[in-house]
Amino acid sequence: MTPTHFAFSSAFILGLTGLAFHRSHLLSALICLEAMMVSLFIALSLWTMQLNSTNFSASPLLLLAFSACEASMGLPSLVATARTHGSDQIRNLNLLQC
Amino acid sequence: MDFIMYLVLFSMILGFVVIASNPSPFFGALGLVVLAGMGCGILSWHGGSFLSLVLFLIYLGGMLVVFAYSAALAADPFPESLGSRWVLISGVIYLVGVVVVSSLVCGDWYEVIWVVMDELVDFSVMRGDMGGVALMYSWGGGMLILSGGALLLTLFVVLELTRGQSRGALRSI
Repeated sequence: MTPTHFAFSSAFILGLTGLAFHRSHLLSALICLEAMMVSLFIALSLWTMQLNSTNFSASPLLLLAFSACEASMGLPSLVATARTHGSDQIRNLNLLQC
Repeated sequence: MDFIMYLVLFSMILGFVVIASNPSPFFGALGLVVLAGMGCGILSWHGGSFLSLVLFLIYLGGMLVVFAYSAALAADPFPESLGSRWVLISGVIYLVGVVVVSSLVCGDWYEVIWVVMDELVDFSVMRGDMGGVALMYSWGGGMLILSGGALLLTLFVVLELTRGQSRGALRSI
């Protein structure tokens, strides 16, 4: 294991714990998801660059396209939550009816 | 120059700690900008100039959108800044955890690590990742069309989610 590999692995684990534990806003959960996607992007592109297998350099870009899909799914659900529940606090989502 | 690389890696970890320690979304977006910049530094250090450019530009644009949303929707009257109590405590806990785990594994670190791609190729004008990304238009055409179709599908799903009060897929009760 090199320090770079340790850095992005621990970064992924940090993003996952931040997503799992005590989020107060829905937007911070989306930010954690985007941070995990950044660490995956760095991991995939470091794989192509350290092994000199540059034919696979397109795969981080495709990952980035799908993560853009994911982020643009999250923000309309945030908007819809703010419309139906009044704010984006996750505490409010437990209520059955506002 | 290895010290600069260690500094960049530690700054990336620090950006993730800022995100994971549950501040207000303003500060989370700030941490995401920091880690996108530091990830750009890591990738350009390893020789992927085009991939680092793409990462930085796309995440800067994405962070613009997230800043706008956090200013509009998640505006707290009293935001939890980085020096707030529970944010500071959980951030210190995460940072100490990372340092403890890295001190556990640092004996086995393989130190010849800063492998730069295409280092031994003389007179190479175009770096390898540009050539590899350009292969997406010839051999990776199927995946290109698939991801373009996924983005188009996302557009329609976004329109359906945010359509209106009474007709959309997600409506008020």
